[in-house]
Amino acid sequence: MRNKTFIAGALALFVISASYAQRGRRSYVDEEDNPAAMPADAGEKTEYAFARLRYPSGGRRSYWGGGSWAIDYPKADRQFVQGVRRLTRLHTRSVEQVVDIDGDEIYNWPWLYAVEVGNWSLNDAQAKKLRDYFLRGGFMMTDDFHGTYEWDSFMASMSRVFPDRQVVEIDSKDPIFHVLYDLDNRVQVPGIVTFGSGVTYERDGIVPHWRGIYDDKGRVMVAICFNQDNGDAWEWADHPRYPENMASQAYRVGINYIVYSMTH
Amino acid sequence: MFEFLFKYPSSVFSKGDFVMLAPLPWWTLAVAVLAAAAFLAWHMNRNRGLLSGARPAAIWVLQTALVALVLFLLWHPAISIATLRPQQNIVAVLVDDSRSMATKDGARGTKTRLEEAVGVLNQGVIDRVGERFQVRLYRFGKAVERIGKPVELTASGGASRIGDSLKQAMAEASTLPLGAVVLLSDGADNSGGIDLETIAAIRQKRIPVHAVGFGKEKFDRDVEIDEVILPARTLADSRLNAQVTLRQNGYEKRKTRLSVREGNKVLATSEVTLKSDGAPQTETLLFNAGMAGARTFQVSVDPLDGEQNTANNALSRLVSVESVKPRVLYFDGEPQWEFKFIRRAIEEDRSLGLVTMIRMTQNKIYRQGVDKPKELEDGFPAKADELFAYQALVFGSVEASYFTTAQQELIREFANRRGGGVIFLGGRATLGDGGYLRSPLAEMLPVQIPDRKGTFHRDEASAELTPVGRESLICRLEERPEKNADRWKKMPVMADYQEVGDPKPGAVVLLETLAPGRRKLPLLAIQNYGRGRTAVFATSGSWRWQMQQPLPDKTHEMFWQQFLRWAVADTPGRVHASTPRPVLSDETSVKLRAEVRDRNFKMVPSAKVEARIIGPEGTAAVVEMNPVPDEDGVYAGEWAAEKPGSYVAEVVALQDKEETRDAIAFRREDGVAENFHTGQNRELLEKLAESTGGRYYTPAEASTLADRISYSEAGLTVRDTKDLWDMPIVFFLALLLRSGEWVLRRKWGVV
Repeated sequence: MRNKTFIAGALALFVISASYAQRGRRSYVDEEDNPAAMPADAGEKTEYAFARLRYPSGGRRSYWGGGSWAIDYPKADRQFVQGVRRLTRLHTRSVEQVVDIDGDEIYNWPWLYAVEVGNWSLNDAQAKKLRDYFLRGGFMMTDDFHGTYEWDSFMASMSRVFPDRQVVEIDSKDPIFHVLYDLDNRVQVPGIVTFGSGVTYERDGIVPHWRGIYDDKGRVMVAICFNQDNGDAWEWADHPRYPENMASQAYRVGINYIVYSMTH
Repeated sequence: MFEFLFKYPSSVFSKGDFVMLAPLPWWTLAVAVLAAAAFLAWHMNRNRGLLSGARPAAIWVLQTALVALVLFLLWHPAISIATLRPQQNIVAVLVDDSRSMATKDGARGTKTRLEEAVGVLNQGVIDRVGERFQVRLYRFGKAVERIGKPVELTASGGASRIGDSLKQAMAEASTLPLGAVVLLSDGADNSGGIDLETIAAIRQKRIPVHAVGFGKEKFDRDVEIDEVILPARTLADSRLNAQVTLRQNGYEKRKTRLSVREGNKVLATSEVTLKSDGAPQTETLLFNAGMAGARTFQVSVDPLDGEQNTANNALSRLVSVESVKPRVLYFDGEPQWEFKFIRRAIEEDRSLGLVTMIRMTQNKIYRQGVDKPKELEDGFPAKADELFAYQALVFGSVEASYFTTAQQELIREFANRRGGGVIFLGGRATLGDGGYLRSPLAEMLPVQIPDRKGTFHRDEASAELTPVGRESLICRLEERPEKNADRWKKMPVMADYQEVGDPKPGAVVLLETLAPGRRKLPLLAIQNYGRGRTAVFATSGSWRWQMQQPLPDKTHEMFWQQFLRWAVADTPGRVHASTPRPVLSDETSVKLRAEVRDRNFKMVPSAKVEARIIGPEGTAAVVEMNPVPDEDGVYAGEWAAEKPGSYVAEVVALQDKEETRDAIAFRREDGVAENFHTGQNRELLEKLAESTGGRYYTPAEASTLADRISYSEAGLTVRDTKDLWDMPIVFFLALLLRSGEWVLRRKWGVV
């Protein structure tokens, strides 16, 4: 009996240790939206990794069963960072980092990407943590949410993150649009759902917006890509039918947001 | 006792020459002694009688010694010594008339030091010395004044300057046969001691200074602030670290409080436990320098019950808090989180300007913080005047080969010649991994670096404060040292670290890296390099200190602000003014010095330089500063600050129709220094007497002064020969040898 207890204990310890050892880059294979090949250098330690925020979403997708956080994951991430690696001097990992909003791992990743935030549903603790994250120096790019309903849904959580800060349109003269690429003239970047239709918007999100929430020093903390889908542009940049100029802009916006967050 | 045995004072033997007066050469004495020894040996061998073993040899030794002594006396030994001619020489008697002589710690505590000195003068010195020499009586404080009688002494001088007073007294008597100087003082000199030049001048004239010391060497119950060290200048809103040295007697292990004030405002306090009696104790007080301007900070220690002198419990220091905003150029070879967080930390510092360049891509360098659109438009500066416009440089992850050889040399000269601060951060493309070892940059690093790739590790590591780091302002996150050390222990891990080698000679390591499986590595090392300073901070992962700590925590900001302030704090401008004494204690003369450089920071020997001085009660003056011979680009001037108070001197240099300037502050304080170091400085008096051929006397010994003062080579002298044969010691020695033999023979039963 005592031997059995010992073996069970050792087994449990082994399982806990193994899972803890993998904490550096947790895998969410079951939640992948669009699987992609694992690069050979996936284990490289780098300065930057594309950090995708794993958050709880209500409505059509649940938190644990492939929530809206995982849209385009991981193909968009891996295809985008190829561009980051090729076009900048930033030491970038070839694979993404999924960062759970719960726990303190978020503080190791000062740049976050949050997709389909029109579906997110943050509790008070998560909202407080995000506020803390931003004020310590973190940055987040949100993407792929459209129309009035999703905006309201986004703001329902965001206003709990920053009850006292306004969401404003980012002026084209803001450094975030010039830090690397000059992005004065921007177009609406559509999602894959509009393939072949010629329509670049979804729901009533006809006009694209590049909005932001600033800190007290005038620095963008949250860059909100509303009524556009840069994630799809990254994901389908290798598709012959995806418009080249839109894919290119999505890369440039994404890269500007990264290097802006590393310089401001 | 010495004089009883040897007939003459010891100074006769130390100053005189030993001679033999017999008309025979030295070697004849040696031959006679040897011959006598041989005869006695032969005689002893023939007449040993009952003596056996080593006993005959013992008797032979004693007999030979006695015969040798007698022979030695037959050769007529004597001392030849220079002696002052009676009635033809002058003896200057200088009496300290400063306020410290009014201290009532003379004989048994019933007399002041001055009263005791006057007693010494009246009870022998003047009369007995006056019997043989002409006595000139002087009193001195700040200056020397001849007086007629001791009754004119008042102990009211605001300061005592022993060296200057000796020089003045000798100058006044330069045409007279001055045979010796007698100095009556407590040795409390306000000018910081007697300089070597003064001592050399006295020695050259061979004038012995005989010093009589008055007063207790230490008080029974006293706490004194011995010294306060503060930088002469600092940036506005800087943290200052006052290093305070205390001494105490009679209050060991007692607690008291150190404070620093500006006017009536208390800036910082610290409770201290006093150490053992007489031992210097150094404490530090951290406080904020505040806004720009000439600021006087007073450091004080609370008086304790029964303290005998409370006037030495406070000391003031003047600090020029500058309104300039030094600019730091930070270059990074690639986007890094460290870059962003350093920028954010420095943005919160109103006294620092940060200009940054970061290589985003092969084709884009992004500039931030530039004054004009064209600033740094062509990349990292390639000309000295452009680079030297900054006060400090910071390099992130950039390989040495990115810079041309000329640029590398310029970076080295930035610290060496321009006097700026240069900080090298860790990164995957720098230091060992960046090929720095094979570039001129290697020489300026404070640590050795490996000549290989793979020194940069993206693995978590901790920072550990070293003992030296505990004292450094860069690493001071908390005012109390123990709390500060504790805070460093709780610091979040860094995201990465870089291997560097041992610190170079002269460098100090403030922080060390603790990485799993490795020995401790230098993390933050600093050193002075040429006119400037350099540092290596071997990580690019300190941003975790910001992201991993609660929002109100300012550790990261504070560390980087203090680090960059260290880099710029002592970076001189093109005109660098200084004065050897920012606080003039009971003196008026202020010496100003300025180094003038051009845009390339090369010395300018032909500038027109003047100091525009403003001071208390509307004082204003312009002082022309002239080139110092043999020092290109250095100019000096002197001015008299007639009124007590604070002054500011703006030194302006005109070169090629361009004016450059620097400002320094100084302060004249009257009657303050005399309250400090009031115990008798016996060491100073002894050293002065010893180095000039004189002697130190206590008041009780002063009666012998008149007899000893004659032996001098100054003034008008005559060679005097002193016989040695009749010294009592000779008689005692002979008696000892003879009685020794008798005692031995009695003991052995052969008498």
